[in-house]
Amino acid sequence: MISKITDTLREKRPYLMSLFLSILAALLIGAVLMIITGYNPVEGYAAMIKGAFGSSRVFGNTMAKMLTLCLTGLAMAVGSQAGMFNVGGEGQLFLGGLAATMTAVYLQGVSPFIAVPLAFISAAVAGGIYAWIPAMLKVKLNVSEVITTIMLNSVAIYLCTYLTNSSGPLRTHDRGVMAGTDAVPKDFMFEQVISRSNLSTAIIYSAVIAFLCWYVMKKTSVGLEMKITGENERFAFFSGLSKDKIMIGAMVASGVICGLVGMFEVFGYQQRFLPSISNEFYFDGMLVAMIMNYSPLGIILMSFFFAVIDIGANAMELSIGISGELSEIIFSIIIFLMAAEGGISKAVQDRRARKKARAHLREEAVQ
Amino acid sequence: MRCAFFLAKGGKTLQESIVRFDNISMQFPGVLANDKVSFDIKKGEVFALVGENGAGKSTLMNILYGIHEPTDGAVYINGHKVEKFSPKEAIAMGVGMVHQHFMLVPSFTVAQNIVMSKEPRRMGIFYDLKEANRETERLVREYGLEVEPEAKVGEISVGLQQRVEILKTLYRGADILILDEPTAVLTPQETEELFAVIRRIVKEKQMTVIIITHKLYEVMNISDRVGVMRRGELVGVEETKNVDERILASMMVGREVLFDHIEKTGEPGEVKIKADNLYVTDNRGLLAVSGVSLEVKAGEVLGIAAIEGNGQSELIEALTGIRPVQRGSFYICGAKADGMNPGQIRKLGAAHIPEDRVATGVSLKSTITENLIVGKEKLPAFSKYKLHLKQSSIARYAREVAEKFDIRGGGVDIKTEDLSGGNMQKVVVAREFSFDTPVLIVAQPTRGVDIGAIEFIHKQIIDKRNQGCAILLVSADLDEIFRLSDRIITMFEGRVTGEFKSGEIDKMEISYYMTGHRDGEGGENDK
Repeated sequence: MISKITDTLREKRPYLMSLFLSILAALLIGAVLMIITGYNPVEGYAAMIKGAFGSSRVFGNTMAKMLTLCLTGLAMAVGSQAGMFNVGGEGQLFLGGLAATMTAVYLQGVSPFIAVPLAFISAAVAGGIYAWIPAMLKVKLNVSEVITTIMLNSVAIYLCTYLTNSSGPLRTHDRGVMAGTDAVPKDFMFEQVISRSNLSTAIIYSAVIAFLCWYVMKKTSVGLEMKITGENERFAFFSGLSKDKIMIGAMVASGVICGLVGMFEVFGYQQRFLPSISNEFYFDGMLVAMIMNYSPLGIILMSFFFAVIDIGANAMELSIGISGELSEIIFSIIIFLMAAEGGISKAVQDRRARKKARAHLREEAVQ
Repeated sequence: MRCAFFLAKGGKTLQESIVRFDNISMQFPGVLANDKVSFDIKKGEVFALVGENGAGKSTLMNILYGIHEPTDGAVYINGHKVEKFSPKEAIAMGVGMVHQHFMLVPSFTVAQNIVMSKEPRRMGIFYDLKEANRETERLVREYGLEVEPEAKVGEISVGLQQRVEILKTLYRGADILILDEPTAVLTPQETEELFAVIRRIVKEKQMTVIIITHKLYEVMNISDRVGVMRRGELVGVEETKNVDERILASMMVGREVLFDHIEKTGEPGEVKIKADNLYVTDNRGLLAVSGVSLEVKAGEVLGIAAIEGNGQSELIEALTGIRPVQRGSFYICGAKADGMNPGQIRKLGAAHIPEDRVATGVSLKSTITENLIVGKEKLPAFSKYKLHLKQSSIARYAREVAEKFDIRGGGVDIKTEDLSGGNMQKVVVAREFSFDTPVLIVAQPTRGVDIGAIEFIHKQIIDKRNQGCAILLVSADLDEIFRLSDRIITMFEGRVTGEFKSGEIDKMEISYYMTGHRDGEGGENDK
């Protein structure tokens, strides 16, 4: 087992090395920015760490953030393993959140043992159907799923906003609430794991989903068929795999996860569906997935790091006044460097390969 | 004196060389596309470069046009060594290329497409559309290539689009024009017009034209000299007037390597593959297979001998379920199989080796193990409840198969793209042959594969035959067809032109049938 882990690490070493260097460089550039704007970077980063780990409450928030990033990242990875690039997770998240919330609101007074599972199902169905549409368009009509999912994002987000904003039909009549649906009944809400933090028992559901994603992608025949389809559709078809089913299934699974993330946001701490339920959470998750090459384990680890920077940067802004946008800058630099890394290391490899081939040919010529 | 006169009259021998390939080798992952190719192209000639698909002719021309940098060797244009390989450099040195797939903007006008990347400008910054139209008209007058400057490219015929491509290279000042399979998309009428244009620009403008093709009558029709490539190597360069289609065909497909005899045993059994009057269309919707019927019995190899592009690829794709059948039907192991998808046909008991292993036969980014297991991943031996993969049995199986099929290159956990062509093909053969099906449909089993692997794959095919498999074999390599087949049919333009028992016919004779002569039309063929 241990030897297997070390083997994997050795194989991935160049990648992990450049990832580590990118993060280091990004943090250094962040430090330089702090100095330029007149702050002490040591103090800044100390405040960031404190903001992410300083108390059980903030640590709970960091973990809650990690769950969101991790699930959205995995949703991206599940689709892309079968060659389906789901950019529409944000819309699926909105619809899933709204569907689960409205289910709970209508089922007020019903036993939570019935209502909560139904809320789960409605979130999953809403997200899943919303991903099924572009998947069908892709498989049957060869319409790029990238375009359709991006477009469907806006449709879902504006629809949900319309329904729950100022005069929308689903807007609450509770006093003092500017926007959003009625609140999910208290007994349907997830238990808090750390009091006064955003961390709820959603962590259990998330862990189950994350495990399932990893298991299906890495350990099952379905995962293998997804991988083959994603890498060479023609080969999959030629080999007799049901590539259409696989592609649609992967996209729908991605949408289901996104729908559930929407539900967890509401049932975990927001209590009601708000038009501001997600601040482009899915796109953050996508970035995590891309940086980690869609590896499920990598996504889980990297989402923790991103959560620390994100939550820590907010606290840093409050405590010593360095703008919280610094976290965005650091993310962007990591992504920029990792993207460049791909190109640079490929160029280096190509050069090496060419040299090798030349040497080989010369050897042959000598013989 | 007489000698000098002869040379002067011969003309061509005195012409200077405009392009020189010096020992060009090009290594792609898994494929040695060009292997020490050297020859000259002379100024003012039409040079035809022929060879089967994958023979390396497009790669060589892409090197000339600067798209690829050769792994080894040098290119000289007009005596200057090419230092930096990029299309921009190549264009600056006077090379123009018209690709098989046109590189035009459909929503732009003809004139806009022609001047693209070198637009006429007013005051240095403003696009001068009028001047573009005038330039186009000037080119039309100068070269006699009729086009309407203001027509939208998306709305004109393919033949005219090709003219726009040619004019584009002329506008950029090309004096060497490369045409990659220019007639593949043209009607016979358009082909004639294109050839008239080529003759004119060569004669009046002293242009040099290199034409890539595998249609031999076109070579005879248009070219001054012809170079034949096979398996990445240059087989030879000949004056067109000294060769005929038959000689070219045997240069393209024959390989002067003598193999050991392989023992064939057993008698043919019942019919396993049966095609009945099949009609299949190609990607453009034109008929590629017209009324082909064939039968393959258990324990025999039926070889299809045909020059590239005569319907054999489409036939195989139809029989494996990749391409729909337009008319007629076919049967695998007695079951009607037309209208089925590849998965259903496999269930009837067929396995396939596709002609293009990189595009169809493997997933390059997946490991060898994964590629070996595809299609078997739901067998009880490899997964519990058809779901949970049994990693250790899979690993053991992969190691066994890799050893049995002699797959070398660094273990079964490396990515398939890191393998050489021969080993990659062995992965495909290993996977398909270990389905243990009664029917095998095998296309180009040894294309781009080294000699050792050829020998190995041939032995595997004959083993399968001796065990009672029905094998349909398509190959561009006549030696392979002759060595492996019990019966041979020839195809030309989508039809079967002859059927022979192995040993009944020789290579020269079969070339007749492969170039369109039917039974009884073969001249000295006195069978």
